[in-house]
Amino acid sequence: MTTKPVTPMLTITRLSKAFGDRVLFDINNLALNPGTLYVLTGDNGSGKTTLQRILAGLETANDLQLTFAGESIEGAFPARWRRDIIHVHQHPYLFHSSIADNIAYGLKMRGLAAAERQPLAAAAMQWAGLDARAGVPPKRLSGGERQKVALARAKVLEPKVLLVDEPTANLDRHARLQIVELLQKTVAAQRTVVVACHDREIIDLPGAVRLNLEGGQLTM
Amino acid sequence: MELWATTQEALRLLVTGDATLWGTVWISLKVSLIALLIATPVAVATGFALASIAFPGRRAAVVVLQSFLSFPTVVVGLVLYVLLARSGPFGDMGLLYTQTAMIIGQAIIAFPVLAAFTLASVQGADRIVRETAVSLGATRTRAAMTTLFEVRFAVMAGLFNGFGRVISEVGCAMMVGGNIAGLTRNIPTAISLETAKGEFAQGIALGIVLIVLALIINGVFHLLQGEGDLK
Repeated sequence: MTTKPVTPMLTITRLSKAFGDRVLFDINNLALNPGTLYVLTGDNGSGKTTLQRILAGLETANDLQLTFAGESIEGAFPARWRRDIIHVHQHPYLFHSSIADNIAYGLKMRGLAAAERQPLAAAAMQWAGLDARAGVPPKRLSGGERQKVALARAKVLEPKVLLVDEPTANLDRHARLQIVELLQKTVAAQRTVVVACHDREIIDLPGAVRLNLEGGQLTM
Repeated sequence: MELWATTQEALRLLVTGDATLWGTVWISLKVSLIALLIATPVAVATGFALASIAFPGRRAAVVVLQSFLSFPTVVVGLVLYVLLARSGPFGDMGLLYTQTAMIIGQAIIAFPVLAAFTLASVQGADRIVRETAVSLGATRTRAAMTTLFEVRFAVMAGLFNGFGRVISEVGCAMMVGGNIAGLTRNIPTAISLETAKGEFAQGIALGIVLIVLALIINGVFHLLQGEGDLK
């Protein structure tokens, strides 16, 4: 019996980043598959966040050759890819509006009418277990709840690749488990999820693929 | 005792709706609000551009803008006077000693306050605000609008500050308005004139109006901030 080969969602043919003479990393030939959780590990300052930011088009690289969903680029990150590759910051910024408005922000940017946004945002809130907190101003949410809003805000856009930076840092065990559950649900929906973290709870998840960034090299 | 009697007279003028007094208040409000209406879009756009667009000479532009904050209003009046006087380059327009001249002067005075507040608030906003918007699919323009919306209370503080500065300034209004009764006499120039004449009641009444206006403006601002907090 043969298994059907998986087509990678995102392939890094070449990606390098240097600050002056110091090469932060130089990555060649790495394929990231859909429905897989990648855990990006490495010492502080090894470039985990920078790598994620480059892959999300938020920062430039010195050399960039990527193939995403069958389309190859060289040089500049195409803005249109931002529709499908979303980065979630370690300390997510929540806009000064309601939780629902935060979650619906990306939908609004995509031109969806309020009537279309509302049910999608409500479903994403339910997905993240935020229903009971709907009326709470974002600034009064806990760290774990803020992460959940950020994940729901990304999830509602149905990205093909989700890049999450240290989502469980400084959270208590209960909140960590809730975040891990959301990440697993995202992977189950056949998304490519890359999480930068040091959290054993995530590193040791069944099926998780560890990517270690060390000395400028990324090893699997 | 005389102060108490004068204050009582001032209050009487206020509550009886003294036409001269309230006419002066109306001119003040009209001129200052129109000046702000003109200055605000340009100043906010300038402050935002200075905060978010890198270009050669940006630092020098910021220094010049911030220097204008401490520019005496009477100097603005003087420059405007020279420009609008009959012998000046814009003398033919006949704007000197009109409300239009006062509006131009007050818009110039409000501009650096509004632009500097916008500049500081946008600079103070974390880079993550813009990046979050971009990451969620906002175009550069929409991300800029989102950032501006996120710092709206700081920009509004600049607006109220600018209003406070123009409604109470006397130097420019006196020079280019000429303090003509019923036409260009506003609260500060009227207070100055009435005091010089020894008519303290009118001056005190107008002073009360200025103080009440300041209280209302601050009250409105805090009310709006409170709503923003609760959203």
